[in-house]
Amino acid sequence: MTVLWYLSRATGVISIVLLTAVMMLGVFLSGARRSVGNRTTTTQAVHRSLALGTATFLVVHIATAIVDTYVHIGVLAALLPFASTYHRLPLGLGTLGFDVLAAIVVTSLLRHRISERLWRVVHRASFVMWPVALWHGIAMGTGNEPILRFTTIGCGVVGVLALVWRLTGSHHDSSRRREVLRQEWT
Amino acid sequence: MRRADRDQEVVIDRIACTAHGVCAVMSGGAIELDEFGYPIPSRVTMSRDDARQLVRACPARALLLSRPT
Amino acid sequence: MSLIDLLDAAGLTGRGGAVFPTGQKLRAAFAHRADLIVNACDGEIGTHKDALVVAEHLDELRHGAGLMARTVHWAAHRGSDTEARLLEAGLQVLSVPARYVASEESALVNHLHGGLARPMMRRAPVVAGSTSPRGRRLPPTLVLNAETVWRVSQIERFGPDWFRSFGTAAEPGPRLVTIGGRVERPGVYDTAAGIGLGDLLQAAGAIDVAAVGLSGLSGGWLLGATAWATVWSDADLAPHGLRTGTGAVHVLDRGACPLDHVARLTGFAAGESAGQCGPCMFGVPAIAEMLDRLAEGVLRPDEVRLLHQRVGLLPGRGACRFPDGVAGFAASALRTFRTDVEAHLAGGCVAARERSGATR
Repeated sequence: MTVLWYLSRATGVISIVLLTAVMMLGVFLSGARRSVGNRTTTTQAVHRSLALGTATFLVVHIATAIVDTYVHIGVLAALLPFASTYHRLPLGLGTLGFDVLAAIVVTSLLRHRISERLWRVVHRASFVMWPVALWHGIAMGTGNEPILRFTTIGCGVVGVLALVWRLTGSHHDSSRRREVLRQEWT
Repeated sequence: MRRADRDQEVVIDRIACTAHGVCAVMSGGAIELDEFGYPIPSRVTMSRDDARQLVRACPARALLLSRPT
Repeated sequence: MSLIDLLDAAGLTGRGGAVFPTGQKLRAAFAHRADLIVNACDGEIGTHKDALVVAEHLDELRHGAGLMARTVHWAAHRGSDTEARLLEAGLQVLSVPARYVASEESALVNHLHGGLARPMMRRAPVVAGSTSPRGRRLPPTLVLNAETVWRVSQIERFGPDWFRSFGTAAEPGPRLVTIGGRVERPGVYDTAAGIGLGDLLQAAGAIDVAAVGLSGLSGGWLLGATAWATVWSDADLAPHGLRTGTGAVHVLDRGACPLDHVARLTGFAAGESAGQCGPCMFGVPAIAEMLDRLAEGVLRPDEVRLLHQRVGLLPGRGACRFPDGVAGFAASALRTFRTDVEAHLAGGCVAARERSGATR
């Protein structure tokens, strides 16, 4: 077991923790019951910069996994989901998660050059990306390191709580919009 | 010849605006909010750099750079 | 002379309330090869003239429309007689839900192309093309009021001089006025700017006139005594903060509490917001709530400042002019019915006293 392999696992778990944090910050933004300008501004700034940080850790995680010769993971498997023969499903999930994150990051950096609709659709894919990343983390958890597994599961629990919070409340702006949309307009 | 310091108009898309209030925080007082949390002015003029920064800051993408006349 | 030249010479302006020079609009429409929507919705409260034009001048309407576009759609409220007549005539009908803002220009365009009948945010007039809320590019569309299209065909037939023989120099041409409320002969009258409001009231058989509402929910109010002495034209109404608008005239008698009527209308307005812009979807109901309590006599005097502040924060803060209209309507009411407002703040009511025959 090489240094690279340890590094890959470590950066993998860190990525999951950061991804969970980024997702939760996003949920706090969209699910806020009231708008407090300063809080929103800070949350958004951290959400955006932390997302870039997460992407960086992910790249290291993937690069070390490829370079490390202990397991056979080629470059193609790192970019194309389910292209690997080694641990096909769990690894493929990880690749899928990374591809979605890449799409989210790219569309966000280019937000003002693309349609708002496209940005929103890709951004919503984060609700697919996050569970996929967790599943990848747990399924790939070879090596019996309990602290890594517990961290991943912990992220799952906290993230789900945030999502429940998101679904159980609303902002006066969205409530009113939804109320009017229920009326006759066609 | 010096370029005017306040020559870029920013327009608020009233339909897209969902009262996040980031523009009020970042416009240094140029944009104030009403009792429901929505910006009071529909157009504000500021420097080109401030305008670009403000447009990118809005979470709902409700700020637009007004086209030059 | 081309049609546009004729319209420019005649000085025809839109009869749908916005009073935009029709020649200018048509010039832009031709430049963009725009389709035409004839708006026969009578969207404004108290306006029934579009129905009359369709009922009695459909051939002229069709001719006028044909002069202006190759593709014509006819917009009417769902379930209305106008809709039935247009369908019977085999025309391309756009069935519009019976909502107040659904007959707004951009709402019609959006609705025509499969969207909801709600106004759109635009960076340019819809005659040049627009973008739907879903991001679709919508074709250039000219939207004209039914009466306007009728006048176009009349101008083409009788000439600009005929048109200018009616009305005033600044507001030329015949105009349809809908008179309603406490009058003996409610209905649509063919008249022109410059006529005395008193003459209109007399023609409609109005006797007890406590107050007159002009141009529905986007207009305002005059006290009866003032109305009898006022000329019906934008120029003469301007000092009162009013316009002729869509030509609706509504008479209230002394037995009706004007604040009651105003509260009912703003309550209606509160439910008609398209729910797209914060200042409107929260501001209008907030104002309606206060006007309702004012009508009930339970609004506190220290709340009046907030009421005026809220009214003042409506204009120019929506994607369409609906909040502007409501603001003007409410502000005019608070101004004109100052005496009633004072009575209500003290828990009384002028009209109620009138009805009970109490002496002051």
